[in-house]
Amino acid sequence: MGTWEGLLTGLSFALQPGVLVYCVLGVVLGTFVGVLPGIGAMAAISLLLPITYYISAEAALIMLAGVYYGAQYGGAVASILMRLPGTPQSAVTALDGYPMARSGRAGPALFAAMASSFAGSVIGIVVLVLMAGWLSRVAVAFGAADYAAMMVLGLVAASTIGSARPAKGFAMIVLGMLLGCIGTDVNSGVMRYTFGQTELLDGVNLVALAMGLFGVAEVIGNVRDPERQSVAERIGLRQMTPTRDDLRRMAFPTLRGGALGSFFGTLPGTGSTLSSFLSYAMERRVARRPERFGEGAIEGVSGPEAANNSAAITAFVPTLTLGIPGDPIMALMLGALVIHGVQPGPMMLDARPEMFWGLVASFGIGNLLLLILNLPLIGIWVALLRIPFRWLYPAILIFICLGVYSVRGLTYDIVAVAAIGLGGYLLALARFSPALLLLGFVLGPLIETNLRRALLISRGDPMVFLERPISAAFVAAIAGLLVLSAVQAVRRRRATTIPPR
Amino acid sequence: MRRDWPDILGGLALAAIGAAAAGWALVHYDAGSLRQMGPGAFPLVLGAMLAVIGLVVALPALGRAGDAPAVEPWAAVAVLASILVFGLGLRPLGLVVASFAGVVVATLPAPRRGWVWRICLAVVVTALTVLIFRAGLQMSLPLWPRGV
Repeated sequence: MGTWEGLLTGLSFALQPGVLVYCVLGVVLGTFVGVLPGIGAMAAISLLLPITYYISAEAALIMLAGVYYGAQYGGAVASILMRLPGTPQSAVTALDGYPMARSGRAGPALFAAMASSFAGSVIGIVVLVLMAGWLSRVAVAFGAADYAAMMVLGLVAASTIGSARPAKGFAMIVLGMLLGCIGTDVNSGVMRYTFGQTELLDGVNLVALAMGLFGVAEVIGNVRDPERQSVAERIGLRQMTPTRDDLRRMAFPTLRGGALGSFFGTLPGTGSTLSSFLSYAMERRVARRPERFGEGAIEGVSGPEAANNSAAITAFVPTLTLGIPGDPIMALMLGALVIHGVQPGPMMLDARPEMFWGLVASFGIGNLLLLILNLPLIGIWVALLRIPFRWLYPAILIFICLGVYSVRGLTYDIVAVAAIGLGGYLLALARFSPALLLLGFVLGPLIETNLRRALLISRGDPMVFLERPISAAFVAAIAGLLVLSAVQAVRRRRATTIPPR
Repeated sequence: MRRDWPDILGGLALAAIGAAAAGWALVHYDAGSLRQMGPGAFPLVLGAMLAVIGLVVALPALGRAGDAPAVEPWAAVAVLASILVFGLGLRPLGLVVASFAGVVVATLPAPRRGWVWRICLAVVVTALTVLIFRAGLQMSLPLWPRGV
């Protein structure tokens, strides 16, 4: 199917009323959770996972994707108005967005965030369309060794790039992979770490794990959140109109951010958080007066917002064409697809054209909706920021319980959510990343399967990972990343150790 | 000097988990050979890796200063209790009683005194729950305690 034909198919699929409703639902819910600090996109997506059992796989994916990029818009609102980033990506937006709001320019800051997000997602969509077909042709040449090496690269990249303590990231990934071993071993039928519990035969429930780690643990951490005060009391369309100077300053940062984000989004393990940080750093470097950054430079809002939205969209490239999720949110999406019996991979473009092209079309529709809806609805989102968390979290807890119960109808799973939630809270206290745990959990079994297959084919010769050019390139990249992060760790230690006087 | 307890305790706990998982795999599952990996090979390697990484996190932290995280034991206990009350109560007590009790328990650590808002919130959330999950999604759940 050609690109134009595909896009038309996708548009006609995504515009069906039954599908459009889920797209709208997804983006509105996403904005909602993005605005509310204390529940991130991860928690929202895990909360929605069980509901997706009741709808088609295509609609489920479109809805969950809507939550993902919708949360980026919402996160920007909370970052700008209250310096409370609902998502890690929007932490960068607070750097200049909040000072703008403090000096009475909340409106233009919000406009910049929304318009740049939209432009960034358009750039992301274009890259996604161009890359996906090419990559799925390349992916046909991938063997078991290549898949295993690529997934390990993704995990190593996710735990080292931009991380202050790579060892803690590695620990979470390995722990997640160990949790992924629980259940029946596919190759031998041996039950691993089930300790006689029949509920564990299929392994740890992905929904229970995600909800415990993100829903419950985040709620515990936010329960005693004090009441918040927003800087902007009233914001409407009129206050949001940017000046001509604002528009001129926004244009290039948006284009650069979008390009940067769409590149980094496609790489496994990096994703949108890194993109927004890099875009901010780049804008500061190219700026004529870098000292304005941090004090309300509109470029510092536009660039990162464009970058994180384009990265959020191109992150679907490896997930859909290779079946390899680049970041934890993509891991959840992959989990949702697998639950529906869809295995993403090089064949998906041909086997499920409605799913792929429908999703692409829904990105365009959803982002346009966000732009149109959010300009007039901004007042509602601002009002939402004043809802105290104590009114929300008891309901979130009950919804988490019912959501996980609805999957298998087992009380066991609700108790498991409580246990996982406790574990997740302890991890958060010790500042370990639960997102990397989830990524390891989803990728672990895939790595094991491909590793075993690769070694079986090569008759036990581990050189197979170096003999195949694709795999060898990934192994080289893994080695490079490890060396780089080791060098950085040593440098950091030297820098932080204060010489004795 | 305050030590970096999160890294020390977290690292040691993970090292212990890793060692236990590797030991269990070594004793109970066949590791096989490189050519034909058994069910024990992958968990054995992962457990050993986790044990080593746990120590890598914990040992350097021994001599490092750190700030203690803000622990909220009361919030944690109430949130987990709320989930257990709801989960274990759902089938014997029914959706209405379980939701109401779950919400009331959950609100206990909230930073605002008084009972009126807790009861009101519990009533509203219970109503929403029944509307969404029983009426909307048509999940088969008992509404009231058994025998009523």
